[in-house]
Amino acid sequence: MTTEGSEDGPAGPLREALTVCAAAGMSGTLRVTGHPGGAIHLVDGRVVAIETPGAPSPEVLLLRSHRITESDWDTAFAAAAVAGGRMSAELIAREMVGSGELEGVLRTALADAMFVLASGTVEEYRSEPGPVDFVLPVEPGAETEWLLAETSRRIRVLASLPDRYDLNRVMAAPGAAARPGARLVESQDEILALADGRRTPRDIAFALGQGVFATILQLARLREADLLVTASRRMTERDRREPGHQAPGDEPGSPSKLPRRQRDRSALLRNPKTAELRAPLRLLQPRFGRSPGSGETP
Amino acid sequence: MLSSLTEALRQVMAFDGVRAAALIDIATGMVVGSVGEQGTDFPAAAASMADEVRTARGVAGFGRLGGDLDEISLVTKGRLHISKVLGSRPGEGMLLYVDLDRARVNLGLASLQIGRLAPAVLA
Repeated sequence: MTTEGSEDGPAGPLREALTVCAAAGMSGTLRVTGHPGGAIHLVDGRVVAIETPGAPSPEVLLLRSHRITESDWDTAFAAAAVAGGRMSAELIAREMVGSGELEGVLRTALADAMFVLASGTVEEYRSEPGPVDFVLPVEPGAETEWLLAETSRRIRVLASLPDRYDLNRVMAAPGAAARPGARLVESQDEILALADGRRTPRDIAFALGQGVFATILQLARLREADLLVTASRRMTERDRREPGHQAPGDEPGSPSKLPRRQRDRSALLRNPKTAELRAPLRLLQPRFGRSPGSGETP
Repeated sequence: MLSSLTEALRQVMAFDGVRAAALIDIATGMVVGSVGEQGTDFPAAAASMADEVRTARGVAGFGRLGGDLDEISLVTKGRLHISKVLGSRPGEGMLLYVDLDRARVNLGLASLQIGRLAPAVLA
């Protein structure tokens, strides 16, 4: 049976399954099938990591936000692999990130991934006790009560927004051109440049290296300021499978249903951070020695 | 095993008059970690603090207030709420939020002490 995320919080069976695993002090993985689906890793009944293609992994958050450079990451990753040590210890020892800050990033990523899982659909789930192998686990793991309460809070916040925001709904930014005098902070400008009528909140979150929930809140504020519209179509599975596929109204020469902001192109070129996005992302390619499906964009 | 974040927040609790201390993610309003006395409305209060930072930044962001936002102090009849902005990527940064008993502390001194200890929370 497929269950939709509701205002009550994570889809009921998912909440129940996680609570049971926690109460039993399980170490292993709760595998969730659905859209986007994912894997919740537990150690002694506490959640140490969640992998889902729907939310950026800690690695994506740290690298795409330029908190840690790719070369520093690779160096630390190789050193940890050679020494058989933990990646988190390596990053902290090399002073690439503080231990409190890293814990903050990991817990934020955990809550975001859980929010995305709970906002999607759950077809089935199964628990697989066993050792957990994840590059950057939260240590000690997060209590399930905290995680579920935060997920419920996020879903309530989302429901309270004036418009309906959907993880797969395409965002466009035609309003900015109409209001050239609008005052924007730096991050808003980046989001407007990315909200080109083809990207979903999830896509924008991955591109900027920030959480999906945080991105939706920023999009909502821009929407409130009339700088953004929620497009009339959703990104479908077919769109994702066929990169060349164009939605109705998007054919060249036909009047588009989505007004496009003309300055998108120049904004992308002007902004050094978003300009990088035109190039294929190394980050999104599979790396040697990393577990598959680590929450990176397909 | 105690998390390094919890240990750092416990250091803040060592100050006289501190009732609770928390690290809040500004972008989402989420309580990342917390120690001390917290009512059931603590998560909602934390989210409001994050909103306040955003509002204040909206004013301070255009050079009117002499620099980036550093701290917000909220004073009620019985309590002091000091929110210290900590720079952190990814996101909009973190907030060290401290709830103090007004009868037992001096605002200036508490602000100074919390400001000195704040960087250690993320270290």
